[in-house]
Parts: sequence; structure tokens; C-alpha cells
Amino acid sequence: MAKLEELKNEVKRILKEGKVKYAIGYERDTNGLLPKPAFIKKTEEADKLIWEPTCVYNLSRFLVDEKRKMAKEKNPDQRPIGLIIKGCDSRAVVVLLQEKFIKRSDVYLIGVSCENSGVVDERKLQKKLKGKKAEKIEFGEKENFVVTTSEGKIEIPASEILAERCLECKASVPVISDVLLGEKTKRKADNPFKSLERVESMSAEERWAFWKAELDKCIRCYACRSVCPMCYCDECVADTINFAVTADTTAEEKAQKIKWLEKSPVASENFVYHMVRAIHLAGRCIDCGECERVCPLDIPLRFLNKYLEKEAQELFGYEPGFDPEQPSLVACFKDEDPQDFIR
Amino acid sequence: MAEEFEPTIVAFLCKWCSSAGSDLAGVSRMEYPPNVVPITVMCSGSVSPLYIFSAFNRGADGVLISGCHPGDCHYIKGNYYARRRIALVKKLLEYVGLEPERFQMSWVSAAEGTKYTQVIKDFVKELKPLGPQTKLRRNR
Repeated sequence: MAKLEELKNEVKRILKEGKVKYAIGYERDTNGLLPKPAFIKKTEEADKLIWEPTCVYNLSRFLVDEKRKMAKEKNPDQRPIGLIIKGCDSRAVVVLLQEKFIKRSDVYLIGVSCENSGVVDERKLQKKLKGKKAEKIEFGEKENFVVTTSEGKIEIPASEILAERCLECKASVPVISDVLLGEKTKRKADNPFKSLERVESMSAEERWAFWKAELDKCIRCYACRSVCPMCYCDECVADTINFAVTADTTAEEKAQKIKWLEKSPVASENFVYHMVRAIHLAGRCIDCGECERVCPLDIPLRFLNKYLEKEAQELFGYEPGFDPEQPSLVACFKDEDPQDFIR
Repeated sequence: MAEEFEPTIVAFLCKWCSSAGSDLAGVSRMEYPPNVVPITVMCSGSVSPLYIFSAFNRGADGVLISGCHPGDCHYIKGNYYARRRIALVKKLLEYVGLEPERFQMSWVSAAEGTKYTQVIKDFVKELKPLGPQTKLRRNR
């Protein structure tokens, strides 16, 4: 495809000109369908790059890691990082910019459009192929995906194997970028909160039973936290072990260190952890769906974050990830904010 | 006959208004249910959602956040921030299936001792039929 060539050429160009220290994109993995993140440091490596509907990862997380790494170095390379971003990832970058976690000059954004579709859900794909193994997926014509299996090519309508979040996507084209490749028209999701209806239609008792069953499974591996580009705090309230104990720490100080929640993965503690995470992501979560994808126990974490996104929009008219200049949700207020629940 | 259930309410009262309001109720010898555990905070805006989840986690049957009326905040706009944040917390708690009556917010000024007693009376009355809060309580 011509577009992939454009992408490779752009990466080669910025590396050659020394504009960026390295570029992050996607390359084919030796194992499985999903690609792996590629760190391109030399121009000749840029040929490895791919851009397909299988590129599900949100690469903006690496900006957080890079900032940590730079803080430790004595003379860090101040040049920006080239980052290949989809629409949803670009919104994550906007939130990081809005919170002044990174500067605009820290990143060179190469936006790629999702061609009016999105990325695939691996499980939906497996179900659809009924046991056949997909080797490659490409963007096809008319919002179709061309899937290459061992038995030849099949065309599948994108809507059948798209990830759930892509069906509700608000930004199929990156909202900020230095260069933008591919289709530039935006697709409008008719109802961005459609999947929530399943939970919202339940009664309070059913909802409790639903969340209790889901959160009871959590083993507190913190994969959701590790993969989230917004979870960048150096110290997390969920940890009680990262309290720096030195030779000077007195027994009293150790005893008085507040333990907000226990580490044990029992339902009551899991509730506190997941509710805290949901509240901390309110007005920041841009629904990249990574937490749900990495969860080893398939907890529908998107429903928690998405719900608060919806409430923020309905109560306060707030949409995260579109304007880097707007103040964050809980750091601003309006006189007409609802207060009918207050006595 | 079994003893009547007495709920425990953890109340986060802002230092400048609601706490003074509860004080007024006290020195004026007004009667109200003794189910409240008052915690004075500097501002309703300083109540972290974590305090609320933690209170439920440690066995509170109800949590009350109380601050100055809009426009009266000692820190000019702390209660506006609180209003926004608490609205989200309330929505979230209802979403996971906790009874909405268990989490309340009120505006009580330093002169409103009577309003404070009324808020507590109503809160206790609403909590009694619900029974103990076991959903988010630490179960060990």
C-alpha cells in the first residue's frame, strides 16, 4: 500500500535529518498475529514498520517511560521522539500535554488514520474464522478488512471484527499530529456509549452482583495500571510497599504509614482499587481499551472508565483528549454544575 | 426482640462551616441521633474520593460530606471543586450497585445548627431500613 511507504519514508526522513532521537512504531512479531512495538533508531530499520488493523497497542505509554529514563540520565538527548499514533492514542497524548506531563516539543507525532474503521479484536476474529489461523490483516476497500489465512484471502466487513471501543470511537483521525497519513475524513459513531447500556439497564442489585462477580476475579496483577498511559504517578495509593524505608525511618513512621487498601486480592479490596482507579481516570481516560485487553481475567474495565466518561460529558459537558488548553475535569468548575443531590 | 439496627455514619465536616454548625447544635443542646463519627477536614474540597471508599471499606454504613454553601467557601472555591468530584463519586458508587442513600452531601453553614441536626436525623432514618452496609465492607 502506498500509505505504508509514506510512513516509512517519513520515519526515514526525520531520522536522517536528526529531528528525532528514535521513532516508535509497530513491527511484525515472530509469534502470533499481533505486532510488537518497534524502536527505530537507524534509517534502514524503518523498513520493518507496518501499519495494519492489528496494531492495537497504545504507544503513548512509552512517553511516560521515556520521561522516567531521561530523569535518570546525566546528559539526556533532548531531541523529541517520533511516535506513530492512531486517533485514540493522539487523544492520550493530548491529555498528557494538557496535564503538562510532556511538552509538545518532546514528541514528533506521525498520525495514521484508521481508514474509517479501526483495529481488530483478536477474540472476535478467532470466532469469525472458526479455527482458521489468520496470518495477516489489511485495510481493504469500503471499510472491509482483507484477512490472509492459510487457505487464501477473505474479506470481512470491519464492523464484525472491530474492537468494541472502535465501534464507539470519537476520533478515527488523530486530533493532533505533525504529519497525518491516510484518509482524513472522520467517521461519526452514532452512539459513543452504546456498550454501556448492557450494564446500565440492570437494577442496582443486578449491577452489584455483576461487579462483585467480575471484581472478585481480580488477582491484582496491576497490568491495567502498567499499561495505562495516564497511570504515571511515581507513587501509587494502591501500593503500600513503596514507602521508602531508610536507616533513619523510625518505627513510629513505619506504623503511621497509612494503608489505604490491603494488597490481598479479596473482593472488598479490589473494589477500592478499581473504584480509585476509575475516579483517578475520570476526565482523563480516552478509552484506548488497553486495560481491558491486557487483563488476564477479562474484567470489563472499560465499563467503569467509560461510565465516568459518559457522566462527565452529561453532567459537565466535558470531553477529554481534544483540547490541550482546556483545564482538567476536577480542576475546574462552572457555577451551573448540578447540585440537586446536595441537601 | 432483636435490638434495633443503629447505623454508623462517617461525616467529613469542613472546618469553617459544617463543623462549626455541628458545634452550634451541640452548645445549643439540640438533640440528634448519636450515630455520627465526625471528622473535621479543612475544606470539603480536600476530601479525597479515597477517604470515602476507605470509610465504606472499614465498615461505615453511610458517609456524609458537608461543606459551606456555594459562594461561602473560606478558600473561595473549594466547595465548587468538591461538588464536581463528589457528583462523580456518587455516580460511581451507584453504578457499582451501592444504595444511593448511603452517600450524601450537604451544605451546612456555621449558623445552621438546626439544619445539621435535620440532615443527620433524615440520614439515620433513611439508613435504618437498609440495614448494615456489607457490600464494600472488608470481609475478614
